[in-house]
Amino acid sequence: MSISRRDFLKLSSAIVGSSLLPNLNVHASEARPSGQQVAMLYDATMCVGCNACTNACRQWNHTSAETDNRSLYDSPPELSANTWTMIQLHQAGDEYSFVKRQCMHCIDPACVSGCPVGALKKSNEGPVTYDADRCIGCRYCMYTCPFHIPRFEWDEVIPVVAKCTFCYDRIIDGKGPACAERCPTGALVWGKRDDLISEADTRIKGSNQRYIDHIYGEDDAGGTSVLYLSGVEFAKLGLENVGTEPIPDVSEGTANIVLPGIILGGPFLLGLIRLVSKRGGWEESWPV
Amino acid sequence: MASVTAPKKLMFSKSLYPLLVLTLLAIGLSIFRLAVGLGPTTNMNDHYPWGIWITIDLFIIPIAGAAFTISLISFFFGYDDYRSVLRPAVVAGFLGYLVVGILLFLDIGRWNQFYNIFNPGILNLHSFLEEISICVTLYIGILTLEVLPILLENTKFRNSIKWIDAGIYIISGAGILLSTLHQSSLGSLFLLMSHKLHPLWYTPALPLLFFLQAGYTGMGATAIAITLISKSKNLPLDRKLMRRIGQAMGINLLLYVCIRIGDWMGAGEIRMLLKPDGFGWIAWLELTLGILIPLAILFTKFIGHSQGPFWAAVFALMGTFLNRLVITWVGLSEPSSITYMPSWIEIFITLGFIAGGYIVFDLFVKFYKLMPEKHRTN
Repeated sequence: MSISRRDFLKLSSAIVGSSLLPNLNVHASEARPSGQQVAMLYDATMCVGCNACTNACRQWNHTSAETDNRSLYDSPPELSANTWTMIQLHQAGDEYSFVKRQCMHCIDPACVSGCPVGALKKSNEGPVTYDADRCIGCRYCMYTCPFHIPRFEWDEVIPVVAKCTFCYDRIIDGKGPACAERCPTGALVWGKRDDLISEADTRIKGSNQRYIDHIYGEDDAGGTSVLYLSGVEFAKLGLENVGTEPIPDVSEGTANIVLPGIILGGPFLLGLIRLVSKRGGWEESWPV
Repeated sequence: MASVTAPKKLMFSKSLYPLLVLTLLAIGLSIFRLAVGLGPTTNMNDHYPWGIWITIDLFIIPIAGAAFTISLISFFFGYDDYRSVLRPAVVAGFLGYLVVGILLFLDIGRWNQFYNIFNPGILNLHSFLEEISICVTLYIGILTLEVLPILLENTKFRNSIKWIDAGIYIISGAGILLSTLHQSSLGSLFLLMSHKLHPLWYTPALPLLFFLQAGYTGMGATAIAITLISKSKNLPLDRKLMRRIGQAMGINLLLYVCIRIGDWMGAGEIRMLLKPDGFGWIAWLELTLGILIPLAILFTKFIGHSQGPFWAAVFALMGTFLNRLVITWVGLSEPSSITYMPSWIEIFITLGFIAGGYIVFDLFVKFYKLMPEKHRTN
């Protein structure tokens, strides 16, 4: 998957796709410019792991706690259909850091591109939303997500896919996501994506080697609406290198060539083959 | 609805009883799965949200592609010698797709609103999964049209579907297009998974590779079916036909392996074949079983041997199975220690419906004319 192949695909799709079926050649997500979308900035160096954010998430979204066997601590081992965000701890020797997990709300989300029924949508405001009335439960989104975020209600008869919604129901009311509004240390803030990126830049430049010189999510996976600052390597926090190309590029590029190509070129080709091949010439009725 | 001319035959011969039991068990287990959900019945989990059903679907579909490759060769390329296998290929394809349809229905979590994939108001044209859903559904319709004349051949209803004969070129042509679309799109599904699928299997050429693989796998399945049918009916094997199918398979395989290796070299991944991480070995196994052995049979004098094309097909199918197994399961990485092994319910539902498909095919062989009783002389 070298860059040159990808560029080739993009270029061909632009040429073939736009000339054959222009209406197919629309990008799956058409939201407002990414800089104007709402975003969150999580600064791992400021997080004290108090879990105020996860509790705020549970209260607002009515998810039930995943307690230990004494029903004392809310201690989910990882994200689940009931746990849409959580604080994890990376510790190795003297090095440690908390890290918050939730849907990254990609600018160009793979889940939205792959969802057959448009149950997952990139909203105008930025959050990636989910509509259970459309969802057929195929779980393709769980595979396409580069961050392993969507989870499934395995124990339900008619399950839903569950993930962080960026509290979309609060955003459209002009409020911020429950987790960011509850954070007591300022480790998690929300705002316009452009503003948060310049804030993150200022923090990196203003501090003396406190941060890794990278805003995770600024360009990763083509850019995400959740941005990370960290003092330890992002990969150690489970924020893998997923490249900077939007994940749907290759797939949508192929869709724009292959589908119109076969649908429009196929009948022509079949007819041509039939004309050229003079063999047989049988005119019996089916079945032979 | 057995053919009227058939003398009294036992509907299910005794040898089919175990398969019948398996099928009934699978029907019972399917009702149970729909009633209680996926969690209690399968071992799929948040890290492996797809299980063995998807692997089997992606293996059955290229096999069932026999219907489309044989239609293409005989209807459009006009090779008459393939016509004698059109019927078994179409019937087997029809049954294969039905099994896939059943397994997919059981697989989706919100099956109560499966019809959303056909709702033009909401469907997503960028999604290859959507495209596959539509194409497979339409294609099952096409195969039904092609099977109907066989089913009704000696009945009074035959005359009422004469329009199928008149439009057979359009019908089979549409079937070929739909197959081309969805066979390649099965590969395109994984274009959104470049970060999960092992680089030896991930490539932007996946749609093309899946399409070619469907070609030789479908023809291989046909070669196997011919051999088995002639054995069970005590007919002499049509060597010339087998050779023809073998040649078509060989060309397809050669194209496939050139693109596969070319892609490895182009992407600089070829040295991964030598990595001792297991995946290199699996790739070698797939290459050897599924491609090199069949090529060694089909491009040498062994192609003329009565069993040659048969064994080439058996090996090619093993390779296809391994390929689909890696792409849908083994080759998908997860940053977690959680793994997946199918539950007994998943396994028995899979086996049961395949057994059911086999039983129905056997009924077709018994009660309808699937193979010419003697060879054509031309």
